[in-house]
Amino acid sequence: MMTISWRTRLYIWFRLLLLQASWNFERLQGIGFFYSLLPGLRKLYRDEKLIEVSRKYVGYFNTHVYLAPMVAGAVLKLEEDQASGIADPVLKIDDFKEMVAAPYAAIGDALFWGGLRPLAAGITLFLAIKGILWAPLIFVLTYNLVPTVFRTVFFVRGYRQGMESVEWIQKHRLPDWAIHTKETAIVILGGLSAFMVFSHLNQQQLPGWLGLFTLLPMVLLGLVARKGLSTLLLVFITVASIFLIGLFWADMVFLIAS
Amino acid sequence: MTVSLAFGALISLICGLDRVAILQIMISRPIVAAPLTALALGEPLVGLQIGVMVELLWLARLPVGAAVPPDDTQVAIASSVLAIVLGETLNASGMELLLLCLLIAIPLGKVGQYFDHIARQYNVRLIKQVDSALDRGSLLGAEFQHLRGLTSFSLASVGTYAIIVLGGLSIVPFLWPLLQQSLSHSSAWIQLALPLVGIAVILGTINVSRAITLFCASFGMSFLLMWLV
Repeated sequence: MMTISWRTRLYIWFRLLLLQASWNFERLQGIGFFYSLLPGLRKLYRDEKLIEVSRKYVGYFNTHVYLAPMVAGAVLKLEEDQASGIADPVLKIDDFKEMVAAPYAAIGDALFWGGLRPLAAGITLFLAIKGILWAPLIFVLTYNLVPTVFRTVFFVRGYRQGMESVEWIQKHRLPDWAIHTKETAIVILGGLSAFMVFSHLNQQQLPGWLGLFTLLPMVLLGLVARKGLSTLLLVFITVASIFLIGLFWADMVFLIAS
Repeated sequence: MTVSLAFGALISLICGLDRVAILQIMISRPIVAAPLTALALGEPLVGLQIGVMVELLWLARLPVGAAVPPDDTQVAIASSVLAIVLGETLNASGMELLLLCLLIAIPLGKVGQYFDHIARQYNVRLIKQVDSALDRGSLLGAEFQHLRGLTSFSLASVGTYAIIVLGGLSIVPFLWPLLQQSLSHSSAWIQLALPLVGIAVILGTINVSRAITLFCASFGMSFLLMWLV
Protein backbone atom coordinates (compact mmCIF):
# COMPACT_ATOMS: atom_id res chain seq x y z
CA MET A 1 0.00 0.00 0.00
CA MET A 2 1.21 3.54 -0.87
CA THR A 3 1.67 5.84 2.11
CA ILE A 4 2.56 9.47 2.49
CA SER A 5 5.53 9.94 4.81
CA TRP A 6 5.33 12.14 7.91
CA ARG A 7 7.81 14.54 6.29
CA THR A 8 5.48 15.10 3.34
CA ARG A 9 2.52 15.53 5.68
CA LEU A 10 4.47 18.09 7.68
CA TYR A 11 5.28 19.89 4.44
CA ILE A 12 1.58 19.89 3.54
CA TRP A 13 0.73 21.23 7.00
CA PHE A 14 3.10 24.14 6.48
CA ARG A 15 1.67 24.80 3.03
CA LEU A 16 -1.79 25.00 4.57
CA LEU A 17 -0.59 28.16 6.33
CA LEU A 18 -0.58 29.72 2.83
CA LEU A 19 -4.02 28.37 1.93
CA GLN A 20 -5.52 31.77 1.17
CA ALA A 21 -2.56 33.35 -0.66
CA SER A 22 -4.51 33.39 -3.94
CA TRP A 23 -8.01 33.81 -2.44
CA ASN A 24 -10.36 35.01 -5.17
CA PHE A 25 -14.07 35.57 -5.71
CA GLU A 26 -14.48 32.73 -8.18
CA ARG A 27 -12.87 29.69 -6.57
CA LEU A 28 -12.11 31.16 -3.13
CA GLN A 29 -9.50 28.81 -1.55
CA GLY A 30 -9.47 26.39 -4.50
CA ILE A 31 -5.96 27.08 -5.82
CA GLY A 32 -4.61 27.18 -2.26
CA PHE A 33 -6.08 23.77 -1.48
CA PHE A 34 -4.41 22.33 -4.59
CA TYR A 35 -1.12 24.04 -3.63
CA SER A 36 -1.26 22.55 -0.14
CA LEU A 37 -2.04 19.00 -1.23
CA LEU A 38 0.40 18.90 -4.14
CA PRO A 39 3.40 17.41 -2.25
CA GLY A 40 1.17 14.49 -1.20
CA LEU A 41 -0.32 14.04 -4.66
CA ARG A 42 3.22 13.96 -6.13
CA LYS A 43 4.00 10.97 -3.92
CA LEU A 44 0.89 9.11 -5.05
CA TYR A 45 0.68 9.84 -8.76
CA ARG A 46 2.95 10.41 -11.73
CA ASP A 47 2.81 12.21 -15.09
CA GLU A 48 -0.63 12.49 -16.72
CA LYS A 49 -2.45 10.98 -13.78
CA LEU A 50 -0.90 13.59 -11.45
CA ILE A 51 -2.06 16.42 -13.72
CA GLU A 52 -5.52 14.88 -13.97
CA VAL A 53 -5.86 14.60 -10.18
CA SER A 54 -4.42 18.11 -9.71
CA ARG A 55 -7.11 19.58 -11.99
CA LYS A 56 -9.72 18.16 -9.65
CA TYR A 57 -8.35 20.24 -6.76
CA VAL A 58 -7.98 23.67 -8.38
CA GLY A 59 -11.78 24.01 -8.49
CA TYR A 60 -14.00 25.82 -6.00
CA PHE A 61 -13.21 25.19 -2.36
CA ASN A 62 -14.02 27.14 0.75
CA THR A 63 -13.94 26.26 4.41
CA HIS A 64 -12.70 27.80 7.63
CA VAL A 65 -8.96 28.31 7.52
CA TYR A 66 -8.39 26.51 10.87
CA LEU A 67 -10.51 23.51 9.85
CA ALA A 68 -9.05 23.21 6.34
CA PRO A 69 -6.22 20.97 7.68
CA MET A 70 -8.82 18.42 8.77
CA VAL A 71 -10.38 18.35 5.29
CA ALA A 72 -6.88 18.17 3.76
CA GLY A 73 -5.87 15.30 6.06
CA ALA A 74 -9.00 13.32 5.26
CA VAL A 75 -8.70 13.97 1.51
CA LEU A 76 -5.06 12.85 1.57
CA LYS A 77 -6.10 9.63 3.25
CA LEU A 78 -8.79 9.03 0.64
CA GLU A 79 -6.37 9.76 -2.21
CA GLU A 80 -3.87 7.39 -0.64
CA ASP A 81 -6.48 4.63 -0.46
CA GLN A 82 -7.55 5.30 -4.01
CA ALA A 83 -3.99 5.23 -5.33
CA SER A 84 -3.57 1.86 -3.62
CA GLY A 85 -6.74 0.66 -5.32
CA ILE A 86 -8.65 -0.03 -2.11
CA ALA A 87 -11.05 2.87 -2.20
CA ASP A 88 -14.10 4.27 -3.90
CA PRO A 89 -14.05 6.02 -7.30
CA VAL A 90 -12.90 9.65 -7.71
CA LEU A 91 -16.37 11.12 -7.33
CA LYS A 92 -16.56 10.17 -3.69
CA ILE A 93 -13.54 12.25 -2.69
CA ASP A 94 -15.04 15.29 -4.40
CA ASP A 95 -18.39 14.62 -2.77
CA PHE A 96 -16.73 14.32 0.61
CA LYS A 97 -14.80 17.58 0.10
CA GLU A 98 -17.96 19.43 -0.89
CA MET A 99 -20.02 17.81 1.83
CA VAL A 100 -17.76 18.87 4.72
CA ALA A 101 -16.40 22.24 3.54
CA ALA A 102 -19.52 24.35 4.16
CA PRO A 103 -20.49 22.90 7.59
CA TYR A 104 -16.85 23.14 8.77
CA ALA A 105 -16.77 26.77 7.58
CA ALA A 106 -19.92 27.53 9.55
CA ILE A 107 -18.55 25.84 12.70
CA GLY A 108 -15.19 27.62 12.37
CA ASP A 109 -16.73 31.04 11.73
CA ALA A 110 -18.96 30.76 14.79
CA LEU A 111 -16.31 29.27 17.06
CA PHE A 112 -13.25 31.32 16.09
CA TRP A 113 -14.40 34.59 14.52
CA GLY A 114 -17.64 34.89 16.48
CA GLY A 115 -16.54 33.46 19.83
CA LEU A 116 -12.85 33.02 20.52
CA ARG A 117 -11.67 36.28 18.95
CA PRO A 118 -13.95 38.59 21.00
CA LEU A 119 -13.18 36.49 24.09
CA ALA A 120 -9.39 36.80 23.68
CA ALA A 121 -9.73 40.49 22.78
CA GLY A 122 -11.85 41.13 25.89
CA ILE A 123 -9.32 39.46 28.20
CA THR A 124 -6.40 41.29 26.55
CA LEU A 125 -8.06 44.70 26.77
CA PHE A 126 -8.30 44.36 30.57
CA LEU A 127 -4.49 44.19 30.59
CA ALA A 128 -3.98 46.80 27.88
CA ILE A 129 -6.14 49.37 29.69
CA LYS A 130 -3.93 48.89 32.75
CA GLY A 131 -1.02 49.89 30.49
CA ILE A 132 0.61 46.44 30.47
CA LEU A 133 2.81 46.47 27.37
CA TRP A 134 2.87 42.67 27.20
CA ALA A 135 -0.88 42.58 26.55
CA PRO A 136 -0.55 42.13 22.73
CA LEU A 137 1.82 39.20 23.21
CA ILE A 138 -0.63 37.64 25.67
CA PHE A 139 -3.38 38.07 23.04
CA VAL A 140 -1.34 36.30 20.38
CA LEU A 141 -0.42 33.45 22.74
CA THR A 142 -3.86 32.89 24.29
CA TYR A 143 -5.75 33.24 21.02
CA ASN A 144 -3.48 30.93 19.03
CA LEU A 145 -3.60 28.11 21.55
CA VAL A 146 -6.90 26.70 20.28
CA PRO A 147 -6.36 27.29 16.52
CA THR A 148 -2.93 25.62 16.71
CA VAL A 149 -4.49 22.55 18.34
CA PHE A 150 -7.18 22.51 15.65
CA ARG A 151 -4.66 22.92 12.86
CA THR A 152 -2.40 20.11 14.09
CA VAL A 153 -4.58 17.58 15.92
CA PHE A 154 -7.40 17.84 13.40
CA PHE A 155 -4.99 17.40 10.49
CA VAL A 156 -3.60 14.25 12.10
CA ARG A 157 -7.14 13.01 12.87
CA GLY A 158 -8.30 13.74 9.35
CA TYR A 159 -5.42 11.78 7.86
CA ARG A 160 -5.86 8.91 10.30
CA GLN A 161 -9.62 8.56 9.96
CA GLY A 162 -10.43 9.77 6.45
CA MET A 163 -14.20 10.09 6.01
CA GLU A 164 -14.79 8.92 9.56
CA SER A 165 -13.24 12.14 10.85
CA VAL A 166 -16.68 13.72 10.32
CA GLU A 167 -18.07 11.50 13.09
CA TRP A 168 -15.21 12.57 15.33
CA ILE A 169 -16.12 16.22 14.77
CA GLN A 170 -19.78 15.48 15.46
CA LYS A 171 -18.87 13.66 18.67
CA HIS A 172 -17.07 16.74 19.98
CA ARG A 173 -20.15 18.96 19.51
CA LEU A 174 -18.23 21.99 18.23
CA PRO A 175 -21.37 24.07 17.47
CA ASP A 176 -22.26 23.85 21.18
CA TRP A 177 -18.73 24.97 22.07
CA ALA A 178 -19.15 27.93 19.73
CA ILE A 179 -22.27 29.05 21.61
CA HIS A 180 -20.57 28.62 25.00
CA THR A 181 -17.55 30.61 23.80
CA LYS A 182 -19.77 33.43 22.53
CA GLU A 183 -21.66 33.53 25.84
CA THR A 184 -18.38 33.70 27.77
CA ALA A 185 -17.20 36.48 25.45
CA ILE A 186 -20.34 38.51 26.23
CA VAL A 187 -19.80 38.06 29.98
CA ILE A 188 -16.14 39.14 29.64
CA LEU A 189 -17.11 42.15 27.51
CA GLY A 190 -19.71 43.12 30.13
CA GLY A 191 -17.04 43.02 32.83
CA LEU A 192 -14.62 44.92 30.59
CA SER A 193 -17.17 47.68 29.92
CA ALA A 194 -17.88 48.02 33.65
CA PHE A 195 -14.14 48.17 34.37
CA MET A 196 -13.51 50.85 31.73
CA VAL A 197 -16.44 53.00 32.86
CA PHE A 198 -15.59 52.64 36.57
CA SER A 199 -11.89 53.50 36.02
CA HIS A 200 -12.86 56.50 33.88
CA LEU A 201 -15.28 57.89 36.45
CA ASN A 202 -12.64 57.47 39.14
CA GLN A 203 -10.12 59.42 37.01
CA GLN A 204 -12.67 62.19 36.41
CA GLN A 205 -13.51 62.20 40.14
CA LEU A 206 -17.19 61.63 39.43
CA PRO A 207 -19.56 59.50 41.56
CA GLY A 208 -19.30 55.80 40.67
CA TRP A 209 -23.06 55.11 40.49
CA LEU A 210 -23.28 57.31 37.38
CA GLY A 211 -21.62 54.47 35.48
CA LEU A 212 -24.76 52.34 35.67
CA PHE A 213 -26.38 54.76 33.21
CA THR A 214 -23.88 53.63 30.57
CA LEU A 215 -25.95 50.49 30.04
CA LEU A 216 -28.81 52.37 28.40
CA PRO A 217 -26.87 54.01 25.52
CA MET A 218 -24.87 50.80 25.00
CA VAL A 219 -27.99 48.65 24.67
CA LEU A 220 -29.54 51.28 22.39
CA LEU A 221 -26.43 51.37 20.20
CA GLY A 222 -26.48 47.56 20.11
CA LEU A 223 -30.10 47.53 18.96
CA VAL A 224 -29.38 50.17 16.31
CA ALA A 225 -26.38 48.12 15.10
CA ARG A 226 -28.67 45.08 14.88
CA LYS A 227 -30.94 47.10 12.57
CA GLY A 228 -27.97 47.44 10.21
CA LEU A 229 -26.54 50.90 10.93
CA SER A 230 -22.82 50.88 10.10
CA THR A 231 -20.14 51.01 12.81
CA LEU A 232 -18.55 53.98 11.04
CA LEU A 233 -21.75 55.99 11.32
CA LEU A 234 -22.23 54.99 14.96
CA VAL A 235 -18.65 56.06 15.75
CA PHE A 236 -19.13 59.47 14.15
CA ILE A 237 -22.53 60.09 15.74
CA THR A 238 -21.09 59.18 19.16
CA VAL A 239 -17.88 61.19 18.74
CA ALA A 240 -19.72 64.24 17.35
CA SER A 241 -22.23 64.12 20.23
CA ILE A 242 -19.50 63.88 22.88
CA PHE A 243 -17.48 66.62 21.16
CA LEU A 244 -20.44 69.02 21.06
CA ILE A 245 -21.48 68.23 24.66
CA GLY A 246 -17.84 68.83 25.70
CA LEU A 247 -17.85 72.26 24.02
CA PHE A 248 -21.21 73.15 25.52
CA TRP A 249 -20.06 72.04 28.99
CA ALA A 250 -16.82 74.06 28.71
CA ASP A 251 -18.81 77.16 27.70
CA MET A 252 -21.22 76.69 30.60
CA VAL A 253 -18.37 76.33 33.08
CA PHE A 254 -16.74 79.47 31.63
CA LEU A 255 -20.01 81.45 31.85
CA ILE A 256 -20.66 80.37 35.44
CA ALA A 257 -17.06 81.17 36.45
CA SER A 258 -17.20 84.64 34.86
CA MET B 1 10.15 60.83 9.29
CA THR B 2 10.86 58.82 6.14
CA VAL B 3 12.36 55.99 8.22
CA SER B 4 9.28 55.93 10.48
CA LEU B 5 6.96 55.82 7.47
CA ALA B 6 9.04 53.02 5.92
CA PHE B 7 8.94 51.00 9.16
CA GLY B 8 5.18 51.48 9.23
CA ALA B 9 4.90 50.29 5.62
CA LEU B 10 6.91 47.15 6.41
CA ILE B 11 4.69 46.30 9.39
CA SER B 12 1.58 47.08 7.35
CA LEU B 13 2.78 44.59 4.72
CA ILE B 14 3.48 41.79 7.22
CA CYS B 15 0.30 42.32 9.24
CA GLY B 16 -1.75 42.86 6.08
CA LEU B 17 -0.69 39.44 4.79
CA ASP B 18 -1.56 37.80 8.11
CA ARG B 19 -5.05 39.27 7.79
CA VAL B 20 -6.12 37.06 4.86
CA ALA B 21 -3.34 35.51 2.81
CA ILE B 22 -1.01 33.73 5.23
CA LEU B 23 -0.84 32.35 8.79
CA GLN B 24 -3.86 34.08 10.38
CA ILE B 25 -2.12 34.13 13.74
CA MET B 26 -3.83 37.44 14.48
CA ILE B 27 -0.82 39.75 14.48
CA SER B 28 -3.11 41.73 12.18
CA ARG B 29 -5.51 42.54 15.04
CA PRO B 30 -5.27 46.25 16.01
CA ILE B 31 -4.39 45.36 19.61
CA VAL B 32 -1.23 43.67 18.27
CA ALA B 33 -0.46 45.62 15.09
CA ALA B 34 -0.69 49.11 16.61
CA PRO B 35 1.61 48.47 19.62
CA LEU B 36 4.02 46.57 17.34
CA THR B 37 4.24 49.59 15.02
CA ALA B 38 4.56 52.05 17.89
CA LEU B 39 7.22 49.84 19.52
CA ALA B 40 9.24 49.94 16.30
CA LEU B 41 8.96 53.74 16.35
CA GLY B 42 9.92 53.94 20.03
CA GLU B 43 6.57 54.82 21.65
CA PRO B 44 4.74 51.56 22.44
CA LEU B 45 2.19 53.19 24.76
CA VAL B 46 0.75 55.24 21.88
CA GLY B 47 0.12 52.02 19.95
CA LEU B 48 -1.42 50.33 22.96
CA GLN B 49 -3.89 53.21 23.40
CA ILE B 50 -4.82 53.13 19.71
CA GLY B 51 -5.08 49.33 19.78
CA VAL B 52 -7.55 49.48 22.69
CA MET B 53 -9.74 51.99 20.83
CA VAL B 54 -9.74 50.23 17.44
CA GLU B 55 -9.70 46.53 18.44
CA LEU B 56 -13.40 46.17 19.19
CA LEU B 57 -14.81 48.56 16.59
CA TRP B 58 -15.16 46.10 13.70
CA LEU B 59 -14.69 42.84 15.59
CA ALA B 60 -18.34 42.04 14.93
CA ARG B 61 -17.75 42.15 11.14
CA LEU B 62 -16.78 38.54 10.48
CA PRO B 63 -14.69 37.59 7.42
CA VAL B 64 -17.28 34.97 6.46
CA GLY B 65 -17.19 33.52 2.93
CA ALA B 66 -16.76 36.33 0.41
CA ALA B 67 -17.48 39.13 2.92
CA VAL B 68 -14.69 41.72 3.21
CA PRO B 69 -14.65 43.56 6.56
CA PRO B 70 -13.16 47.09 6.90
CA ASP B 71 -9.36 47.11 7.18
CA ASP B 72 -8.91 47.82 10.89
CA THR B 73 -5.31 46.56 10.68
CA GLN B 74 -4.19 49.44 8.44
CA VAL B 75 -6.28 51.94 10.41
CA ALA B 76 -4.46 50.91 13.59
CA ILE B 77 -0.97 50.88 12.02
CA ALA B 78 -1.37 54.11 10.06
CA SER B 79 -2.90 56.05 12.96
CA SER B 80 -0.04 54.92 15.24
CA VAL B 81 2.49 56.14 12.67
CA LEU B 82 0.61 59.41 12.20
CA ALA B 83 0.33 60.07 15.94
CA ILE B 84 4.05 59.49 16.49
CA VAL B 85 5.35 61.28 13.38
CA LEU B 86 3.01 64.27 13.71
CA GLY B 87 3.69 64.42 17.45
CA GLU B 88 7.33 65.17 16.58
CA THR B 89 6.54 67.48 13.65
CA LEU B 90 3.86 69.54 15.43
CA ASN B 91 5.66 69.31 18.75
CA ALA B 92 2.47 67.97 20.32
CA SER B 93 1.55 65.03 22.47
CA GLY B 94 -1.37 63.64 24.43
CA MET B 95 -4.68 62.01 23.72
CA GLU B 96 -6.03 64.89 21.58
CA LEU B 97 -3.53 64.41 18.74
CA LEU B 98 -3.88 60.66 18.96
CA LEU B 99 -7.66 60.90 18.67
CA LEU B 100 -7.49 63.34 15.77
CA CYS B 101 -5.16 60.99 13.85
CA LEU B 102 -7.45 58.04 14.60
CA LEU B 103 -10.64 59.89 13.63
CA ILE B 104 -9.05 60.85 10.30
CA ALA B 105 -7.76 57.30 9.77
CA ILE B 106 -11.09 55.55 10.47
CA PRO B 107 -13.03 56.85 7.41
CA LEU B 108 -9.92 56.65 5.20
CA GLY B 109 -9.69 52.98 6.24
CA LYS B 110 -12.78 52.36 4.09
CA VAL B 111 -10.34 52.43 1.16
CA GLY B 112 -8.85 49.22 2.57
CA GLN B 113 -12.11 47.38 2.05
CA TYR B 114 -12.13 48.57 -1.58
CA PHE B 115 -8.48 47.61 -2.18
CA ASP B 116 -8.99 44.20 -0.58
CA HIS B 117 -11.94 43.69 -2.92
CA ILE B 118 -9.79 44.61 -5.92
CA ALA B 119 -7.01 42.23 -4.78
CA ARG B 120 -9.46 39.34 -4.56
CA GLN B 121 -10.96 40.28 -7.92
CA TYR B 122 -7.49 40.51 -9.47
CA ASN B 123 -6.65 37.04 -8.16
CA VAL B 124 -9.46 35.64 -10.34
CA ARG B 125 -7.02 36.14 -13.26
CA LEU B 126 -4.68 33.62 -11.64
CA ILE B 127 -7.24 30.86 -12.18
CA LYS B 128 -6.82 31.06 -15.95
CA GLN B 129 -3.05 30.95 -15.59
CA VAL B 130 -3.19 27.99 -13.20
CA ASP B 131 -5.43 26.15 -15.66
CA SER B 132 -3.12 26.88 -18.58
CA ALA B 133 -0.06 25.86 -16.51
CA LEU B 134 -1.77 22.52 -15.83
CA ASP B 135 -2.61 22.19 -19.54
CA ARG B 136 1.11 22.57 -20.25
CA GLY B 137 1.81 19.97 -17.57
CA SER B 138 3.68 22.51 -15.46
CA LEU B 139 2.84 21.94 -11.81
CA LEU B 140 5.60 24.31 -10.77
CA GLY B 141 3.97 27.03 -12.87
CA ALA B 142 0.62 26.40 -11.17
CA GLU B 143 2.25 26.57 -7.73
CA PHE B 144 3.91 29.85 -8.68
CA GLN B 145 0.58 31.38 -9.70
CA HIS B 146 -0.78 30.62 -6.22
CA LEU B 147 2.12 32.47 -4.60
CA ARG B 148 1.62 35.38 -7.02
CA GLY B 149 -1.63 36.04 -5.20
CA LEU B 150 0.43 37.35 -2.29
CA THR B 151 1.46 40.32 -4.45
CA SER B 152 -2.10 41.62 -4.77
CA PHE B 153 -2.75 41.29 -1.03
CA SER B 154 0.58 43.01 -0.28
CA LEU B 155 -0.23 45.89 -2.63
CA ALA B 156 -3.71 46.25 -1.13
CA SER B 157 -2.28 46.47 2.39
CA VAL B 158 0.52 48.89 1.62
CA GLY B 159 -1.78 50.93 -0.65
CA THR B 160 -4.33 51.33 2.15
CA TYR B 161 -1.57 52.27 4.58
CA ALA B 162 -0.17 54.84 2.12
CA ILE B 163 -3.55 56.46 1.53
CA ILE B 164 -4.33 56.74 5.26
CA VAL B 165 -0.86 58.09 6.07
CA LEU B 166 -0.82 60.57 3.16
CA GLY B 167 -4.36 61.67 3.96
CA GLY B 168 -3.48 62.08 7.64
CA LEU B 169 -0.27 63.98 6.90
CA SER B 170 -2.15 66.49 4.77
CA ILE B 171 -5.31 66.85 6.91
CA VAL B 172 -4.14 66.62 10.54
CA PRO B 173 -1.60 69.53 10.51
CA PHE B 174 -4.36 71.72 9.07
CA LEU B 175 -7.01 70.67 11.61
CA TRP B 176 -4.76 70.42 14.66
CA PRO B 177 -4.55 74.19 15.50
CA LEU B 178 -8.32 74.49 15.02
CA LEU B 179 -9.36 71.49 17.10
CA GLN B 180 -6.61 71.10 19.70
CA GLN B 181 -8.34 73.21 22.36
CA SER B 182 -11.87 71.99 21.62
CA LEU B 183 -10.85 68.32 21.70
CA SER B 184 -9.26 68.73 25.13
CA HIS B 185 -12.77 69.08 26.66
CA SER B 186 -13.94 65.73 25.38
CA SER B 187 -10.87 63.60 24.56
CA ALA B 188 -11.07 61.42 27.69
CA TRP B 189 -14.76 60.67 27.04
CA ILE B 190 -14.17 59.88 23.36
CA GLN B 191 -11.34 57.55 24.40
CA LEU B 192 -13.84 55.69 26.60
CA ALA B 193 -16.64 55.79 24.03
CA LEU B 194 -14.80 54.17 21.10
CA PRO B 195 -14.32 50.70 22.66
CA LEU B 196 -17.81 50.89 24.17
CA VAL B 197 -19.31 51.50 20.71
CA GLY B 198 -17.40 48.43 19.49
CA ILE B 199 -18.77 46.34 22.36
CA ALA B 200 -22.30 47.63 21.69
CA VAL B 201 -22.01 46.60 18.02
CA ILE B 202 -20.79 43.13 19.04
CA LEU B 203 -23.68 42.90 21.48
CA GLY B 204 -26.17 43.85 18.78
CA THR B 205 -24.84 41.51 16.11
CA ILE B 206 -23.61 38.44 18.02
CA ASN B 207 -25.80 35.44 17.35
CA VAL B 208 -26.60 34.46 20.95
CA SER B 209 -30.04 34.39 22.51
CA ARG B 210 -30.32 36.58 25.63
CA ALA B 211 -27.05 38.37 24.75
CA ILE B 212 -28.31 41.68 26.18
CA THR B 213 -29.45 40.00 29.43
CA LEU B 214 -26.09 38.30 29.85
CA PHE B 215 -24.22 41.51 29.10
CA CYS B 216 -26.31 43.65 31.51
CA ALA B 217 -25.97 41.05 34.28
CA SER B 218 -22.20 40.89 33.83
CA PHE B 219 -21.86 44.67 33.60
CA GLY B 220 -24.06 45.24 36.65
CA MET B 221 -22.35 42.62 38.81
CA SER B 222 -18.83 43.77 37.91
CA PHE B 223 -19.74 47.40 38.40
CA LEU B 224 -21.35 46.84 41.78
CA LEU B 225 -18.40 44.74 42.93
CA MET B 226 -15.90 47.45 41.94
CA TRP B 227 -18.05 50.16 43.44
CA LEU B 228 -18.62 48.39 46.76
CA VAL B 229 -15.17 46.86 47.29
